[in-house]
Amino acid sequence: MMTPDEARSLAKAAVSLTCADEVEALVIAETSALTRFANNRINQNVAGSDALVNVRAVIDRRVGVASTNRLDDASLKACCDAAVAAAKVAPADPDFPGLPSPGPVLEVNRAYDATRTFDAQARAHAARAIVDESKQRGLSAAGKVRVAEHVIAVANSHGIDVGQAVTGTQATVLSAGDSGSGWASFLSRDASELHPSELGIEAAELALSSTDPTDLDPGEYPVVLGSEAVADIMDFLAYVGFSAKAYVEGRSFLSNHIEDDVMSELVTITDDALAPHAMGTTFDFEGVPKLTTPLIEYGVALGPVTDSYWAPKTGWPNTGHALPAPNPYGPMPLNLEMAAGESTLEELIGGVRRGVYVTRFHYVNVEDPVPVTLTGMTRDGTFLIEDGRLTRPLKNLRFTQPMVRAMRFCAGVTAERRFVGTEEGASLVPAILLEAFNFTGQTR
Amino acid sequence: MRDIIESALEAARLAGATYADARVVDSSREEVQVANGRLEGVDRSDSFGMGVRVLVDDSWGFAATRDVTSDQAARVAREAVAIGRASAMVAGPPVRLAPVEPASGTWTGPCEIDPFTVPLEEKLAVLIAADEAMRSEDAVSITKASCGAYRFRKWFGSSEGAYTEQSWHETGAGIVAYAIADSEVVSRSYPNSHGGGWRQAGWEYVIGLDIVGNAPRVADEAAALLNAPEVTPGVVDLIIDASQLALQVHESIGHPTELDRVLGEEAAFAGTSWVGIADLGSLRYGSEHVTVSADATVPGSLGSFGWDDDGVPATRDLIVTEGVLTGLLTSRDTAPEIDRPSNGCARADGWNRIPLVRMTTVSLEPGEWSFADLVADTGEGLYVETNNSWSIDDKRLNFQFACEIGWEIRRGELSRMVRMPNYTGITPHFWASCDAVCSRDHWQVWGLPNCGKGEPMQTAHVAHGASPARFRGVQVGVGR
Repeated sequence: MMTPDEARSLAKAAVSLTCADEVEALVIAETSALTRFANNRINQNVAGSDALVNVRAVIDRRVGVASTNRLDDASLKACCDAAVAAAKVAPADPDFPGLPSPGPVLEVNRAYDATRTFDAQARAHAARAIVDESKQRGLSAAGKVRVAEHVIAVANSHGIDVGQAVTGTQATVLSAGDSGSGWASFLSRDASELHPSELGIEAAELALSSTDPTDLDPGEYPVVLGSEAVADIMDFLAYVGFSAKAYVEGRSFLSNHIEDDVMSELVTITDDALAPHAMGTTFDFEGVPKLTTPLIEYGVALGPVTDSYWAPKTGWPNTGHALPAPNPYGPMPLNLEMAAGESTLEELIGGVRRGVYVTRFHYVNVEDPVPVTLTGMTRDGTFLIEDGRLTRPLKNLRFTQPMVRAMRFCAGVTAERRFVGTEEGASLVPAILLEAFNFTGQTR
Repeated sequence: MRDIIESALEAARLAGATYADARVVDSSREEVQVANGRLEGVDRSDSFGMGVRVLVDDSWGFAATRDVTSDQAARVAREAVAIGRASAMVAGPPVRLAPVEPASGTWTGPCEIDPFTVPLEEKLAVLIAADEAMRSEDAVSITKASCGAYRFRKWFGSSEGAYTEQSWHETGAGIVAYAIADSEVVSRSYPNSHGGGWRQAGWEYVIGLDIVGNAPRVADEAAALLNAPEVTPGVVDLIIDASQLALQVHESIGHPTELDRVLGEEAAFAGTSWVGIADLGSLRYGSEHVTVSADATVPGSLGSFGWDDDGVPATRDLIVTEGVLTGLLTSRDTAPEIDRPSNGCARADGWNRIPLVRMTTVSLEPGEWSFADLVADTGEGLYVETNNSWSIDDKRLNFQFACEIGWEIRRGELSRMVRMPNYTGITPHFWASCDAVCSRDHWQVWGLPNCGKGEPMQTAHVAHGASPARFRGVQVGVGR
């Protein structure tokens, strides 16, 4: 596996090989392994490594990008030349502000040897421990144990020269019986924090309590969303709402609403790659230091995340949220956190007279971007709440809900938060209570 | 390349593998995107590497490298065997492979004008002209035009003696106009949403699309949508256009008939299926108007090839025959579960991924109606075009789709435009309500280059043939 210093050297070599007014080289190297299980046995087991050099050349505000995973000298030079050739024929972009300049990057150690050395045998042991908890209960387990190390380095002709290594360990388990299923997940930088039996027990017990689900009429109900479901909402708020590009183009719920109350005062959302517990790198894919960026504070819209292109268009500073060039999506937050509240999950459920508890969502998609109207299904543990307690499992429900409106009616937030996602883009989220949520159907 | 593949297969055999295959994939991709008159990106990328898959102790192992040399081939083969032995620590029934005659030969996809030889200036000229033509409409504030191309070369060998070489190009283009006002955003696309149209073809496909000529209409419709009403919630007779119906087939027939999903192999991520093995030959999937084929031999389709990544030759199979489930999409390691040979649906997304059961060209076979006759015969109803969003449950039963545009059908004619109409249903009820399918004159194959499945995530390039069809009593305007 390439080290950060080796990746920085490769990036600088690419910059020096490229004849252009400005040059940026991004190196992404990855080694990963994933053990997958289903029907209580390992069914897929893979490992691999790759490394990519992505070169951005700028000539008279004309920009071209090329990338390759062939790292021999001739191929690297060909990639650099391809970026230059593209730049030469590209139309000039008068708004192009130039590549960014260096800034102070927070040095961190987010790569753990315990993750690097979590080999196929260790993954198989973890998978067996997870599976056994379902087998013992007459259930069937499916899921994965995955480890990865990423090395990211960026160099540019203005002196940016940064590189970091990060690791991630992820495990998921879906435990299923004849008529119900349960889910549990784990994400950490450090594989030594994985306790597979506990994960297996959580999913299996949830599956048992989900047996023989019942009907629920469509309608608007109070809902308690587990952290997995909240993470989905965060992802879509980020995808369609928290980018400066969407903001400038008027496609974001933040557009024309900065400093307005857009959500409940219980909702504070920040992108924070600098927190001690955060995952991923502390610089973005342009090598710009990531800033801790408050997006929603006590329900008030503060602003989107930016990058070197979109920051000048908004008047806000560059918050360091660029994706790899060329980037048609605009800047994107990859370290979202929703602030913790003071409640326990039991207290949230205890406050509901008649409503629904959702463990997680499935196949969520955007129907209308500005109000962030999402539709999707519930999955792996949906329950009716009556008089403050879970009374019976429900069949999976379809929802169709403008999420910004739903977050206006956030009435409770747990103190406990969980990481959901991958080390490349993780949300740290609590469980929440929303007073009104529109369920529009159910499955068989 | 054959020597390198042989090195992998020999190393796997010596390490104890009872079966091995090795794939080398060399791919290039180019994407050009223009937005609001600005070049949003021109990107060229190359990827080259090798994956080795082995069966050892009756379990699978796989490892991959970007260093395609004989030494590295042997190393990853031994790594794959070690991983396979770890798989055997949590084993189930032994993996069985459906028999297949070892494949041999070469296959090349159709391509008249190599898109990688077309000068970037020429591509930009088309995109900029299309983008500019859409901006002639004042209400349209964001315009996008894009084109892209892939070039693949793939070498495959197996310990059973197979050795094949395949090469093909895929080319695509599309435009989209967004009209935005007062926190309302509507979009209109051509020839399809989510990246446009794609085929196994060269630049001649983009020329044939005439995105410049279609741009003014797209912009006009986007502007009109901004002032169009939403669909009235209720239950209607619904005519779905071919592009949306292609996605409907994909989500509610293609995925649930993938045998790995049926067997629970994808339970934790993509989900399972409402279909069971015992349903083969008896399950009423839809009405007698619903016949669905899986065909990897359709010329120019993203779902076509010479051999799949198990080395099984491309074939055509009927999945649903006049409404009855008659087939499933299979691979060599799933087909024995239904006592059939593999129908060649194992495909991997590149050199560093394992083959999964993937769709080929899964198509709703054409009926006999003309579109005009179908609208006239419907009398009162709704016609919808072009996907806007999609969602379906983990068993592929409860779905909800939204489209970009629709027209109310009044007195047998298309009348008032409606914006972003959505509809919902339960798969077998929905297909049972299909009472008319338009003819081959209205039928076309739609490339879908973004089908996600598996962990690590794989993106397959698949396709679906469809023509407009009518469904009785469908719920529309959900949650509006």
